[in-house]
Amino acid sequence: MKERIEIRLCGFGGQGIVLMGLVLGEAAVRDGLWAAGSNSYGAQARGSACQSEVVLSRAPVDYPRVLAPDLLVALSQEAYERYVIDLQKEGVAVYDAGLVKPRGGLPQPHIPVDATRTAVEGLSQKQVANMVMLAAVAALTGIVSQKALLGAALDAVPARLREINQRALEAGFRLGESAREGLSYPLPDWTLCEASARADA
Amino acid sequence: MSRSRTEGLLPPGDYYLSGNEAAAEGALAVGCDFYAGYPITPSSEIMERMAWRLPEVGGTFVQMEDEIGSLCAVIGAAWAGAKAMTATSGPGFSLMMEPLGYAVMTETPLVIMDVQRAGPCTGQATRVGAGDIMQARWGAHGDYQIIALSPWSVQEMFDMAVQAFNLAERFRVPVVLLAEEAVGHLRERITLPSEVTVIQRDRDKTRPPFGSEEPDGVPPMPAFGDGADLLVTGSTHDEWGFRKTEDPEVQRRLVTRLSRKILDHRAEICSVETYCMEDAQVMVVAYGFTARSALHAVRHLRGEGLEVGMMRLRTLWPFPEEAVARMGEGRARVLVPEMNLGQIQGEVQKAVDCPVEAYHQVNGEVIPPSVLLKWIRERSL
Repeated sequence: MKERIEIRLCGFGGQGIVLMGLVLGEAAVRDGLWAAGSNSYGAQARGSACQSEVVLSRAPVDYPRVLAPDLLVALSQEAYERYVIDLQKEGVAVYDAGLVKPRGGLPQPHIPVDATRTAVEGLSQKQVANMVMLAAVAALTGIVSQKALLGAALDAVPARLREINQRALEAGFRLGESAREGLSYPLPDWTLCEASARADA
Repeated sequence: MSRSRTEGLLPPGDYYLSGNEAAAEGALAVGCDFYAGYPITPSSEIMERMAWRLPEVGGTFVQMEDEIGSLCAVIGAAWAGAKAMTATSGPGFSLMMEPLGYAVMTETPLVIMDVQRAGPCTGQATRVGAGDIMQARWGAHGDYQIIALSPWSVQEMFDMAVQAFNLAERFRVPVVLLAEEAVGHLRERITLPSEVTVIQRDRDKTRPPFGSEEPDGVPPMPAFGDGADLLVTGSTHDEWGFRKTEDPEVQRRLVTRLSRKILDHRAEICSVETYCMEDAQVMVVAYGFTARSALHAVRHLRGEGLEVGMMRLRTLWPFPEEAVARMGEGRARVLVPEMNLGQIQGEVQKAVDCPVEAYHQVNGEVIPPSVLLKWIRERSL
């Protein structure tokens, strides 16, 4: 049982990293969890190592930023290199199979997801790679429900882009489920407990 | 009085909003119907949201030429009966000091949201700081008191926006929501209530609008158009607003009352929160985002068996000195971490008898829990 789950999403500015964080946090709230998120801002968000972080909990979190992520989701090599060093020893890295070549010799499991290739080849729309990846992460880890993620994502995009995003999410769920089935080891127990900081009476 | 949610307001429930978005929604919930401002990082999302939300609730939004004009427009709107606000950050807050003094002297209820960034001057626009604490207190010239609140979460950006308007209406004073970039840009789950408490200014036009005989020091404030013969001036004025720029007694009474109406109501205005303080030998006093780091550290150190607790200041001005003094009594040590070079530390030292030590960080980043953990532990063993 954990008090909090920390997730860091990272990639190039422009890949939709900030939107991934927003949708993940919104989905968590719809699942009844507490969520807190921060992300790269201004020029950083357009740079080469953009990041967005989300902390999930069953009660209000004291410190709302990531301390040592349980889960790193990387969509670019540079961002991966920069942030993998912070990953908790018992953490897990999920990376875009076509864009990231993981370092060897790290103790944490690294799980590839073919998000960008699926977006380009399967959906003819590179821009939705972020939603493919986010859906895959949800299906793989169960940190948020697929229903909440779908609702949160479709409410976050303009009406004309809902259909393509829905297809991206469904493709991502399938990728995540098959990745999970292919694992030869169990993922860490990310069950949340309800401990929280309460003010004195 | 409480205000039920009306058309145009978000339905009650749980949301995932940024601090700046929540502050705008809080203002709307309590009835803010006028915004004038000039965009500046890291406060711009407040203005952006007000630009599309105010027309939805029947309010008025004006983008002004600069921050001096912005606060002047807010003062004018307040005298026309509006609940008016602006939002800014350090450089804009500096420009607002002249009209802020005018608002203090004319006893104009209004709200300024200052989402603090790293200063001085233009400093680091996208980075965090808490360097405007003393500016909020002393930025305009002359003797006066002001109210400043320090939110530490997205929920409090909403709640304190509501509270800021209520305090402004109650005491006819500018209220500063002294937020920080790290809270303004933080996204968190927030629960929007079905109704909020709403205080409206007394618009009685039969009593003098600047009267110093009011028992609690707060005279009524009719609006232009209510039918009162209103004179509003930043120069020293008598109870009906007539300029008395050479009368020592009128000057003394007015300036004394401007301070007393706040200081006499400290118990009503000031708010603090404590954590793990019961048997604490060491008391950490923190506010804003830094209190989130400090609380994480304190909880961890409690797990190590150290007798450490925390007091969080929700009100910065007037300084809650009575609460700090009472809670500080008998402690071995008081620790004050701040994202500045020591602005609240001196106020804490004035209130307590034991030694006060401060941790200062001015690198444009939040103080991480790991730093406070080590710093507090070394002073608690």
